[in-house]
Amino acid sequence: MQKHNANRPAVMDLLEHHGGLAPGVSAKVSEETGVPEADIYGVVSFYTLLAKPGVARVCQGISCAMAGSDALADALQAKGEPYEKVSCLGYCDQAPVQIDKDMELTKHGPRGSITPDDPALPINLGGQDDASYSALKAFEGMDPDAFLDQLQGSGLQGRGGAGFPAWIKWKAVRNEPIGTRYVVVNADEGEPGTFKDRETMLRRPHRLIEGLAIACKYVGATTAYIYLRGEFPAPRRALELALAKARPHLGGLDIRLTMGHGAYICGEETALLEAIEGKRGMPRLKPPYPTQVGLFGEPTLINNVETLACVPEIVLRGGDWFKNLGKTEAGSKLYCISGHVEKAGVYELPLGATLNELVQAAGGYVGTPKAFSPGGASSGFLPMEHADTPLDFKGLTKVGSMLGSAGVVVLNDTVDMAAAVRWQQIFFEDESCGQCAPCRIGCRMQRQAIDAFIESGDVASLEHTEDLHWEMEEGSICGLGMVASLPLLTAQKHFPSEFEGS
Amino acid sequence: MTETPTELTLTLDGEQVHAKDGETLLDVCRRAGKEVPTLCAEDRVDPMGSCRMCLVEVEGQRRLQPSCAFKVQAGQVVQTASDKVKRHRQLLLSMYLADHELDEDDLPRERGTGNQLRQHVLDHGTGPKLPAINAPREYRMENNPYIHFDPEACVLCNLCVRYCDEVEAVSAITLAGRGAKTTIATADQKGLLDTTCEMCGGCIAVCPTGAMTEKPSLASDFREEEVVRSTCNFCGVGCQVNLHTQDNKVVRVTSPPAGETVNDGNLCIKGRFSMEFIQHEDRLTQPLVRGDDGALHTTTWENALKVAAQGLMGVKEKYGADSLGFISSSRCTGEENYLLQKLSRAAFGTNNCHQCAAT
Repeated sequence: MQKHNANRPAVMDLLEHHGGLAPGVSAKVSEETGVPEADIYGVVSFYTLLAKPGVARVCQGISCAMAGSDALADALQAKGEPYEKVSCLGYCDQAPVQIDKDMELTKHGPRGSITPDDPALPINLGGQDDASYSALKAFEGMDPDAFLDQLQGSGLQGRGGAGFPAWIKWKAVRNEPIGTRYVVVNADEGEPGTFKDRETMLRRPHRLIEGLAIACKYVGATTAYIYLRGEFPAPRRALELALAKARPHLGGLDIRLTMGHGAYICGEETALLEAIEGKRGMPRLKPPYPTQVGLFGEPTLINNVETLACVPEIVLRGGDWFKNLGKTEAGSKLYCISGHVEKAGVYELPLGATLNELVQAAGGYVGTPKAFSPGGASSGFLPMEHADTPLDFKGLTKVGSMLGSAGVVVLNDTVDMAAAVRWQQIFFEDESCGQCAPCRIGCRMQRQAIDAFIESGDVASLEHTEDLHWEMEEGSICGLGMVASLPLLTAQKHFPSEFEGS
Repeated sequence: MTETPTELTLTLDGEQVHAKDGETLLDVCRRAGKEVPTLCAEDRVDPMGSCRMCLVEVEGQRRLQPSCAFKVQAGQVVQTASDKVKRHRQLLLSMYLADHELDEDDLPRERGTGNQLRQHVLDHGTGPKLPAINAPREYRMENNPYIHFDPEACVLCNLCVRYCDEVEAVSAITLAGRGAKTTIATADQKGLLDTTCEMCGGCIAVCPTGAMTEKPSLASDFREEEVVRSTCNFCGVGCQVNLHTQDNKVVRVTSPPAGETVNDGNLCIKGRFSMEFIQHEDRLTQPLVRGDDGALHTTTWENALKVAAQGLMGVKEKYGADSLGFISSSRCTGEENYLLQKLSRAAFGTNNCHQCAAT
């Protein structure tokens, strides 16, 4: 049991400071924080950056794997340099990538592209970042209810993946009984294929900070946290600079930057809260929802980077304006595209753009396209018949997929679907938190099933994949387990000839 | 001021049942006699909802919900044995079997005082037989004499960790690692003796599968054991113990269930593990008095007390009452301690009396 005044949130930074997992480190951090030694060992062994500190890391996400990241690993192996193959590093537009022990990019492909400057776009990655905080000032002159009407009218849906109407959460937190409340920014971008928040923080950090400040003022929070993935040192620098510059505008608002330590699951909002609190990143049971019982048990508004970055322009130009930017659903959307396209990158298009439209922005396909993932690993694979299907929240759900974080990955006909499935299933096995049995056991089983199939060509290896998916979908605590079988299941469904065996 | 919880009504498997605001669905199911299997639920710790055994169907919820944590609501419609719930239980049990040590009948191996996972498999059946996942767990070297942990029989319900933290406030163990590598560990995988562990063995008591077991009783088959209720005599608390015996020998000590006795399901290292003295050859089982030959001889209680009294009175007469001192054992009850000071003060006339646990 931790001491009454234990400084739990300091645990992870101290673990990092003392060099991560090594004998005696847990004891030292326990002395410094008052948190039991065993608890700290539980934490340090959970996060990959802490469990294996000080090594190079090679991305084995699908885009990097297709671009030949195995060769990077082989080169390190040949040199005898210690390294680790890790889940997606969030640089799919620059695949294949490798980072050093300080998380800095040391190997990468051609730099990614973005939509050119267009002031008509709400985020406009190509534009000059604006540090005037005029939207915040405009918000302060608005009636809160009138603002909520604009937010509701804008139709802004959470850009982290769930697509939940933003205004409902904002209103819920504001309406909680008087007391402490928090706003938390989910900047733990880690879905394979996704790197839009990285670009937003690099290029338009003030958009995020301004949106965050508006959120804090609206819900009544005086402290906010930005939980940024640990493998993003460049966005960290950009945010720190921008925060320093923004401070005079923020009226004493305390914005804290908390770094992640290598766990995709911390992008799940309640696991993220656990991580900020200095614990293992295991998702909580819902209900209660974070809007009621969130960070440190207080009502908490959690939003994705892109969601908050949309808010300043909604304040300045109104909800209707934002809504009308969309095609099938409200607003514009940052679409990430990587894999077999000419110019991988982040493109801001009307929500509901199709794959063909997105690829047109990205300079066209490379080779003959065969399949694509519309929203990262969690969205499975779709065949090219859906190249003209609107990439939006509702429509993709109807075809058994999802928009998720809009991390679109294109696979051409040089890719074997079984191999593609394997990359994704390795990802889920590595990133399952291990808390609940359906996901912990199921993710490993699905990976073993595709491995066995690739090795033997025996379709019997895949006979239980649907049952497992059913149970993982129905019985898992959080979304990871629920969708973890989709790469395998959707590939089997849409590309049956590749799973007939030999 | 405590408020009386609001009474409410919900529908459980088609029948109207009453509940109080704040109760969980599992509370209601148990009261109604529903067979909802659990692994990670235990009244003394907060619900974790991680084993997923107790999921039930709640109308209006997209997915099955953990009854151990899901709160009752007026008008709720809950099903504990729908086709969906049954399919879930069987598939989940199939998955557990693929990550568990099995016996020759392909059932979870029995250990300790039984394996609830085995019972759930027998009661609810399983789905397809799934290939073993051979989870790559880290082991630790243990040299403590009492607590044995076998990761291959662990379902990661985390009850041992939660008990150690929430009930004992000791926090010697933790969930460690991630994904399929997750296991129960100590800090740096040290032996329990090198941690804050107090060897209370509560982790064994709450373990549903026997992954944590009493090391001295590993070879004992609990079905062959006879259980005798007794009172622990290591101190004056009066903890109730169940002495498990085989061939008239104590082979294991457990506590009666939580909520039934003063110790509420808990025991300490002495109560749970220090049982050898009962059959130890050095144990005194009858009064002894030293004879003129210098050796101890068995005698009657009457004679032994007489000899002791005469000896003490002799000392008092020769050297005065304050040359005597009385020390009682920490194993004595409050009443026994009272009698000892009475003996000291009233019978012999000295205030030199002490209780060994008082310092």
